[in-house]
Amino acid sequence: MASLCSGNEQLNWEKRVMTVDEEELFRDIATQRFLNELDKEIGDYPDKQSIMADYKLHVYDLLQEETLDGDKIYEELVNRLGTPKELALLWKQETAVTPRKMQWLFVLCNFAIFLGGVLLTIGYNVFDWSWLESLWTGLTDATSIIILAYTMFWGLLGYEIGKAFGARGYKLLNKTFIFSIVPNLVFMYLIVFKLIPYEWFQPILSFRLVVVCILCTGFLYPVSWLGYRWGRKASV
Amino acid sequence: MFNRELVKGSTSLLVLQLLNERDMYGYELVKEMDRRSDHNLQMKEGTLYPALHKMEKQEYIECYWQNQKKGPARKYYRITAQGKEILAERTSEWHRYVQVMNNLIGKNES
Repeated sequence: MASLCSGNEQLNWEKRVMTVDEEELFRDIATQRFLNELDKEIGDYPDKQSIMADYKLHVYDLLQEETLDGDKIYEELVNRLGTPKELALLWKQETAVTPRKMQWLFVLCNFAIFLGGVLLTIGYNVFDWSWLESLWTGLTDATSIIILAYTMFWGLLGYEIGKAFGARGYKLLNKTFIFSIVPNLVFMYLIVFKLIPYEWFQPILSFRLVVVCILCTGFLYPVSWLGYRWGRKASV
Repeated sequence: MFNRELVKGSTSLLVLQLLNERDMYGYELVKEMDRRSDHNLQMKEGTLYPALHKMEKQEYIECYWQNQKKGPARKYYRITAQGKEILAERTSEWHRYVQVMNNLIGKNES
């Protein structure tokens, strides 16, 4: 009988199927040492029971199907599987990137870009600092480069999600995009309906630039989607 | 034996290819890889499980438990439709890459 992998199935695998003779295999000191060390190195990982079940089954199969030198079982397990430390490190790397972390990273990055822009604008209009004026002039002279770099940021968002989460990343991409685009839409609303001082953005805020920005915002999703498709290719 | 990084980079593709042929459990995947490569693709067997976990997370494979007549239940892995799709894409890319490398290296050698 086959059943899909659920948490309970994984937790109960030993109870359900192990016979006394089979349990003897795991009582071997060297095997126990390896599994205990791995258990300790993995620490408090939430899916730990499932991970340990995978390694126990692997060790079980290995001991059943191959004849290992009784005195060197621990060394052989380390040689074949890797040291418990190495394995735990791999699991830490594998579980470091979660959908939630990835989503908030990009949402906060976009928010930070907007916050930077807002602070720069306020600083330029309120204070009389020459360095800030030079920075403002430099940035307003390079709007095309800024638009290009910002578009690349959205491409990167899609790429990273595709690379880390593969086919499952599509839903995450849509969710992250919706959350991340909020500052853009709010800012666009404030500008179009003149709810923030229009003159603050002079001389950059021309009708042409507003149209370009609206078009570019509409273009952001296709860019993220293309990035996602590219990243998905690199996920395997 | 090949460069470890090269093997590491192609493990997922090999696993998908093997699972495309039939469902397998972890130890079976390792043995099958070793057998088919004439013992040339030797990897640390324990590194297979983080790779399987990643592919499960990416929805390229899924697992199920299968009771055995003898011994503990086994955790089998099977490829999903998305897994088959990415396998086809990457296999085609791999073939093109090998062809280009063969052309370049072959020309240099002759």
